[in-house]
Amino acid sequence: MDENKIESLKQEALAAAAAASNADELEQVRIRYLGRNGVLPAMMKGLKDAPPEARAGLGRAANDFKVSVQAAVEDRKSGLTSARQAGPAFDLSLPGRWRGVGSMHPISKVIEDATRIFGRIGFTVAEGPDIETAYRNFEALNTPAHHPSLDPGDTFWLEDGMLLRTQTSPVQIRVMERRKPPVRVITPGRCYRRDTTDATHSANFHQIEGLYVDAAVSLGDLKGTLEYFIREMMGAGVRIRFRPHFFPFTEPSVECDFSCHVCAGNGCRVCKNSGWIEIAGAGMVDPRVFRKVGYDPEAVTGFAFGMGVERIAMVKYGIQDIRMLYANDLRFLEQFR
Amino acid sequence: MKVPISWLREFVDFDDSAERLAERLTMSGTEVEGIEKVGCSCTGVVVGEVLSVAKHPRADKLSICRVGAGDREYRVVCGASNFKAGDRAAFAPAGAVLAGGLLIKETSIRGEFSEGMLCAEDELGISDDHSGIMILPAAAAPGSALQDIVGEPETVLNIEVTWNRPDCLSIIGIAREVAALCGGRLKMPELHAGLGPRKIREFANVEVADSAGCPRYTACALEGVVVGPSPDWMQRRLHLCGMRPINSVVDITNYVLLETGHPLHAFDRDLLRGDRIVVRRAVAGEEIRTLDGETRKLHTGVLVIADGEGPVALAGIMGGEGSEIRDATTRVVLESACFDPGLIHSASADLGVASESSRRFERGVDVTAVGWAGRLAAGLMVEHASASASPGSTDVWPVKPQPRRIRCRYGRGRDLLGMRISDGEMADIFVRLGMNVDEKDAGGCTVTAPAFRPDIEVEADLFEEVARVHGLGEVASAPPRSALVPESDDVEERAVAECRKTVMALGFSEIVNYSFVSAALLDLFGKGNAGGRLVLPNPVSSDYAVMRDSLVPQMVETMGRNAAHQVPDVLFFEMGRVFGVSDGASIEEGRLCMGLSGKAGRVEGSIRTPATAEEVFLRIKGAAEALGAALKTGRFSFRSEDREWTEPGWCVMVELAGAPVGVIGLVKSALRREWRFAEPVGICEMSIAPLIANCFSSPVLSDIPAYPSISRDVAMIVDDSVTHEQVVSAIRAAGPPELTEVLLFDTFRSESMGPGKRSLAYTLEYRSGVRTLTDEEANAFHDKVKEALRSGLKAEIRES
Ligand SMILES: [Zn+2]
Repeated sequence: MDENKIESLKQEALAAAAAASNADELEQVRIRYLGRNGVLPAMMKGLKDAPPEARAGLGRAANDFKVSVQAAVEDRKSGLTSARQAGPAFDLSLPGRWRGVGSMHPISKVIEDATRIFGRIGFTVAEGPDIETAYRNFEALNTPAHHPSLDPGDTFWLEDGMLLRTQTSPVQIRVMERRKPPVRVITPGRCYRRDTTDATHSANFHQIEGLYVDAAVSLGDLKGTLEYFIREMMGAGVRIRFRPHFFPFTEPSVECDFSCHVCAGNGCRVCKNSGWIEIAGAGMVDPRVFRKVGYDPEAVTGFAFGMGVERIAMVKYGIQDIRMLYANDLRFLEQFR
Repeated sequence: MKVPISWLREFVDFDDSAERLAERLTMSGTEVEGIEKVGCSCTGVVVGEVLSVAKHPRADKLSICRVGAGDREYRVVCGASNFKAGDRAAFAPAGAVLAGGLLIKETSIRGEFSEGMLCAEDELGISDDHSGIMILPAAAAPGSALQDIVGEPETVLNIEVTWNRPDCLSIIGIAREVAALCGGRLKMPELHAGLGPRKIREFANVEVADSAGCPRYTACALEGVVVGPSPDWMQRRLHLCGMRPINSVVDITNYVLLETGHPLHAFDRDLLRGDRIVVRRAVAGEEIRTLDGETRKLHTGVLVIADGEGPVALAGIMGGEGSEIRDATTRVVLESACFDPGLIHSASADLGVASESSRRFERGVDVTAVGWAGRLAAGLMVEHASASASPGSTDVWPVKPQPRRIRCRYGRGRDLLGMRISDGEMADIFVRLGMNVDEKDAGGCTVTAPAFRPDIEVEADLFEEVARVHGLGEVASAPPRSALVPESDDVEERAVAECRKTVMALGFSEIVNYSFVSAALLDLFGKGNAGGRLVLPNPVSSDYAVMRDSLVPQMVETMGRNAAHQVPDVLFFEMGRVFGVSDGASIEEGRLCMGLSGKAGRVEGSIRTPATAEEVFLRIKGAAEALGAALKTGRFSFRSEDREWTEPGWCVMVELAGAPVGVIGLVKSALRREWRFAEPVGICEMSIAPLIANCFSSPVLSDIPAYPSISRDVAMIVDDSVTHEQVVSAIRAAGPPELTEVLLFDTFRSESMGPGKRSLAYTLEYRSGVRTLTDEEANAFHDKVKEALRSGLKAEIRES
């Protein structure tokens, strides 16, 4: 036995398989070449007696014979079957089988979008605990000692003197305590205020705050940054404006509105006919806050801003009632895939 | 703060319309929330004299009146009962139009003819009072137009004053803003001519025992006072600002409060015992009956005004009934003082009483203007309450505040604000806001913060004034600058996001629940750890009284609510924090909870076949294992251990390297009944930190196998007490290093095996890293494994 012989046997077998006109004939071909007493086992047996230097080449040829003939028999078999039994085809329109896909909660979605948008202009994410010290939540943020936000009617105080943070600003304090400028972070997270729940208030809510501290940061930088974020979030066409406001943490303090994305600023139900939608509180970090964390307010300036996550979700997706976000109804949630 | 435009115009001239002015104020930080048109915005309504009142024959609550209005009489059916024959009232004859646009017609009410309507204040647009018809002064001439009495409609700005601007809680304060914005000049009210600075006679005996709590106390004594109604114009302004007129003396104090922002209080001097006034802390247990009729028990944190015997007023908050101005009052002590904001705030909060006075004191009033405000009110009493005697006054003011002088560097201001504004414009803004500016040079100026602006403390405060008056629209928006801040301490936040995405990819939908829950809900899931719960001392309601110590209860509740909405098969997950108390300290931890109910996640099989406990358990466990694989946690091990909320025998602790990281279980049937779940509910709750610890680790690569493997199957019958884990452990222990894979491919029971037994079948893969294994070698390995199973687990090996 040599490789040429095997090759010619293969051609012979392939021709026989191709020529088989029905299943019986094809089975005969299979038995003759691949069956227990057929050509292939004899070929394998012959392999053992071959000289050692020829074995590798013969083995490859025998294997090629086996694979090729098997494939030819299978091919012919399916050819005979489909030709003869032209039964109904498989219904390819049947539903596929896979478990469903999950959805992201709109609160997470807004945080994720914001993280990505701010990430592109160099902001990283920082988080902190829900249970905070009064120092970081109020005092370090320059909140006057008798500011109404400290009242037990507004803030959840705990037995051990800690509190449930009312904003994520204490995370900014934590970041500044552990890092030297420049600092550029956003701080998304859960916050708590003793509000009575209604269509727009929830005692448990989420915020995204941001902080940028560096040499010569200006109110113009704040405007540019918020403009970029809001356009990415709400649509390229929107404009923003600042209104002066008061927050203990910043000086000057502003509220930021954007021109209504629904009516392009002409007035509609969403913007209560004003053309503007309030989106963020912001301002230049008060020098007294910098001193608390050991920054030199003569050397650095910075801006900070804060936004309600639920509010953004409601405005962006047209959700009428904040309680929808906590009802966890799958029929609502699965629309946020 | 309500600001009638006409009152504002007394102190400043401006050309703007109310709308334009509101816009300017809002854009400078004094937010105008609304513009109200108040007053009689009706036409044709006149003064009617009620000539007679008779019962309606067919309606108990109605009456039939004869009303005279000038030249003729009208027959009117009326539903109110707050009047009698002889009264003057607002009357709308047929043809008149009311505030809401309603045209009055002749009509028939319950069969009685009516030619007009007696009107309540809300129907006239004067107030929202609908308690009865509007009774007019007896002097009003019947038939004259109502506008002649109540005046033309007035425009009132409703202003939201930010906490840092107590000066804007007054008409004059707002006028000062308007002057700065519109360029007008602020005109201050003039003191009554009869009240010069001369000091006539010390009033009584004023002692300030707590000068920290009361930095300044002034008192005027007025005599010959005649208490009566205050002038109509004054009553009208009080109305417009949302206050009720009471009598001339009280109205004057309120009027001055609204005009200047300085709260005042008037005592009936003849009701002050011992002819002295002491400003002191309350003695614990002392009581006072305040003007609102409440008797209040005091503690030492409350500042009081006392006479010779006891408290007569809660300082800065509310007067006491005992020294209240009466109709018979003739001698008045008029207090104008300044109290410590923190003290007033805490007393007001503790006692649960707030007033227009306390709201101003707790934000801070101008201590330097206290005496002036008192004299302004005294002058009004001379004019409008017949206070004939010259007032004496006393002024206890031991420590005068130092003026705050603040340097403003123009260049730094421009840099911080990103605004183009000249030095001169900046200085001019300070002047327009009533601040003194000196030491001007090329680099800046020195500003003296006025006493009425406690918020101006540092340079940044001055920059804010520049920004808001110059206009924030002038801030040039700078594109985001990107001086890179190299930071890498956000790994955890990124890993949590990765975890969220992975769970979603497994098919779960995210839910978000409150951090606080009811104790009752937690109790349903187990009271074992009730002592370690973090309970809120001041919850919004009992439904939200306890911080959750597990995500499981709300997960089950959420699935139950969805089931009730005909969505019984869900895959949910929540990532959130849980809380507790440990050694007296509040603690928190991040958790992940996955919930799976019924057939959710089933891929093969009919959607009608009820889900079994086995499949639900294995699916939720499979999800946990897939998550572990995706996040590279390393292999979980599982240990049977029931929880209070799980079905007995259907719960495992999940462990990583011997440390517990979570729990997987089926919700017990008692809880399933609570929410009417028809099918099993599987839950997995894990701590997030160990889950994500390895999430971003780089893989340590090993070579792809170079040599073929050999597979051998082993099927065995074992006792039910033998677990799959034990079988795998035994196989791995007995197998050689060449044993690379152990996969379960079949498990079944049959009668022939007998009860308490089952068959497990595994396929084992053997592979060497250095050469091709022979069949003989594989057989030898496999025989050793079989032997170990026989001897170690008493397995009956099924040979095929
Ligand atoms: Zn709109």
